[in-house]
Amino acid sequence: MSKYRILTDDAKCTGCLRCQLACSQAYQKSFNPSAARVRVDFLGVDCAIRFTEECVACGLCADNCLYGALEKSAEGGA
Amino acid sequence: MTLGGFAGTILVVDLTRGVITKEPLDPGLARDFIGGLGLTVKLAYDNLGPGTDALAPENPIVLGAGTLVGTDLPASSRLFSITKLPTSGTIGWSGAGGVTFACMLKNAGYDQIVIKGRADRPVYLEIIDDRVTLRDASPLWGLGVSATCEALWKDYERPTGVVAIGQGGENLVKFSMAYVDRIATLGRGGFGAVMGSKNLKAIVARGSRGVSVADRKGYKALRKSIFERMRAYPHLKEWQEMGLINSFPFVEKETYLHIKKRRVACVSCPIGCKDVVEIRDGDLKGQVVCSSSAINLFTPIIYGMKDYREAIKLIADLDEYGLDMFEFMGLMVFAKALAEEGLIPRDRAEPQIAVESLGSMEAWAGKIARREGLGDVLADGFPGVIEAFGEKAEALAPALVKGMHPYAGPGAALPWHLFGTMELGQVLDPRGPHVGSSGSPTYFARRPLEVFPKHLDRMGVPEDEIAGLLPRGDEGEITGLSVGGLLRHSHRWFAILGSLGVCARAQINRFYSASFCAQAYEAVTGIETPVSALRERADRAWTLLRLANLREGFQREREEVLPRKWFGDRGFQDYVSEEPLTVGESEQMIDDYYREWDWDPKTGVPTQRALDRLGLQGLK
Repeated sequence: MSKYRILTDDAKCTGCLRCQLACSQAYQKSFNPSAARVRVDFLGVDCAIRFTEECVACGLCADNCLYGALEKSAEGGA
Repeated sequence: MTLGGFAGTILVVDLTRGVITKEPLDPGLARDFIGGLGLTVKLAYDNLGPGTDALAPENPIVLGAGTLVGTDLPASSRLFSITKLPTSGTIGWSGAGGVTFACMLKNAGYDQIVIKGRADRPVYLEIIDDRVTLRDASPLWGLGVSATCEALWKDYERPTGVVAIGQGGENLVKFSMAYVDRIATLGRGGFGAVMGSKNLKAIVARGSRGVSVADRKGYKALRKSIFERMRAYPHLKEWQEMGLINSFPFVEKETYLHIKKRRVACVSCPIGCKDVVEIRDGDLKGQVVCSSSAINLFTPIIYGMKDYREAIKLIADLDEYGLDMFEFMGLMVFAKALAEEGLIPRDRAEPQIAVESLGSMEAWAGKIARREGLGDVLADGFPGVIEAFGEKAEALAPALVKGMHPYAGPGAALPWHLFGTMELGQVLDPRGPHVGSSGSPTYFARRPLEVFPKHLDRMGVPEDEIAGLLPRGDEGEITGLSVGGLLRHSHRWFAILGSLGVCARAQINRFYSASFCAQAYEAVTGIETPVSALRERADRAWTLLRLANLREGFQREREEVLPRKWFGDRGFQDYVSEEPLTVGESEQMIDDYYREWDWDPKTGVPTQRALDRLGLQGLK
C-alpha cells in the first residue's frame, strides 16, 4: 500500500522538473532527472506527468511542485 | 580535489578540424571565477585573440552553465555565453533561461563548451553523455527556430535541450539571436550570426550523470529556508498566474487570460515566465505561439500595431527567423522615416514600410532574414543603414548605444523616464544596451529611498559602502542616490547570480542574498566561501570582462557615450529629483561608476591596485 495517492493535473505543469529533481535526489542521492520515478513528458507544447513502476507514491514530488500540477491525497493508493 | 556541483569537464570543439576534446576543469580556476558566467569570461579571455572580427572563425563561442545549475535551488538554470558580438564589436555576455538545456549539459558531464573555428558545411553539435559528435545539419539549414527544435526533438527524446538559430543567424543578420528550447532568447547583439558564421545550426544536450552536492545536510537546510520564504511570498500565485504581464500590463488582464494556454518554466523555476498562447478568434484563430514572455508578444502595439493578435503573429515570425524584436522594430521605424524623407528610394522600399501593418512587417522580416534587396542593408543594423545612407540618415536615427537601439528610455519600447541603474547600465554594460545586468532597487520607480539599504545589504554591499551610495541629511534621512556607484554593485550582484546560474529577474533574485549565495556555493561545491570571497571572485570576473574589451581598444569616448537624444525636454529625468537630467550629471555618474570599481575615473581603466587585489596583475 502506498503512503499517498498522487493526483496530477497536466494542464498546470510548466515543465520545471522540480518533481524529477526532488525524486532523484531522494532516491539516487544526486539531482538526475533521468533517474526519477516521476516523469514529465513534453508533448508538443503540452506536458504529461507519469510515474515509473518503481514509484512508491511517497509524495515528495507533490511537496516540491509549486504549480499545483502534483498533489497528494491522504488516501493511499494501490 | 573533487568538487560538488561542477560536472568537472570543459568541452573544446574545433569546428574547422572537426576535433572535439574534453579537458578537466581546474578546481582552482573554478573557485577563482565561481563558475557559469565568471568561468565563461575567463575561458573567452584566454581563447580570443585581440582584434578578431566577430564573424571570423577565430572568434570563440564560450557557453557555460552555472555552478548551481542542475540542483533544485529556485531558478538555477541559467545558460551564459561570452563571444565578440557583431553589432557592438565588443566582447559581451549573452544569457538565457536555460530551459532544459543548461541542466542537461551539466547532466551530460560538462560545465562549459568552447567552440572555435568554422565548419565547412552546416553542422550541429550532439552532446549525449560521453557521446559528443558533430553531425550534418544540411537538412536543418534554412529552417526556422521552432522547426529546427521540433526536427531535433523527433530524433532526441525530450527533455533534450536545444540551442538553435533560425534563418537570421544563418544569413549573418547582425541582430539575430539563438534560442534555447525554441522559447528563451540568447544574445541580443548578434549571437545568432556568430553561430551562423561557424555553420553551427544547433547544439543538443542530454545527460544522465546527475549533479551532486558536497554537503547534503547543509544544502538541505538552505533549500528549506529559501522555499519557506518563497511559499510564504504573498504574490507568488499572482506571478505564476499572470507572469510578466503583472509588471508590464501592455494589454488588459482579461485579454491575456483569454489567450493564455500554459506557462513554461526553466528547470527549477517557481515563476515560469515563459508563455504558450493561442489566438482564439479572428483570421489568426488557432495559431499557437511559444514566447519568452507574453509581454514580448505585445511589443508591436507600442510601435503602433492596433490588433494584439497581429502583434503576436509578427513576434512569432521574428522568433522563427531568430531576430531581435527590439532592434527590428526600431530599425523599421527608422527605415520608414528614411523612406519618407526620400533617403531610401521609393522603389527600394517595397512593400511600403508600415510599422502598424502585419503584412508589411512580415514581408520586411523575411527580406531581412534572407538578406533580400534593401533587407540586406537593414540586416546590418543601424550602423549598416547609416553607412549606406549617410549623414542625413544618421541625423534621423534614434538614440544609439554601441550601434544598437536601447530598449528603455525616451523614444524606446519601454518609455521609462527615471534614470536609475538599468537606464545607465545600457551604456556601461560592455555588450551594448541591455538592462539585464543592471538590476537594483531602482527597478521599481519611486520606491522610497529608505528601503534601499535593506536591498543593498541583500546584494552584498558592505555597510560602510552603502553609506557612500546613499548620502544622508542632518537628521539622518536619505537625501540622494549615487546611481553610478550603485550600478557597480548591480554588476557585481549580476556576476554573482550569473556565475551561480541563478536568474536575475527581480521576481526571483528577491529571494536570494549574497550571504545565501555564498552559503549555497559552499554547500554545493565544498569550497570555503565567505561572502567577501564571493564578492571578490565576482569582481574578478567582471573586471576581466572589462580587460578583455580594453584589450580590443574599447574607449570611454567611443563605447560609453551617452546618447544626446536622451536629454532635453522629453529626455530622462533624475531618479530622485525628477528634474531633467543633464549631460554633466550623467557623465559624473559614469565617473562614479568607475571610481566605485577602483578604475581610473576618467578612462575606466582598472587601477594597478584593483588588479593586484583581484590577482589580475599583468593582464591588459
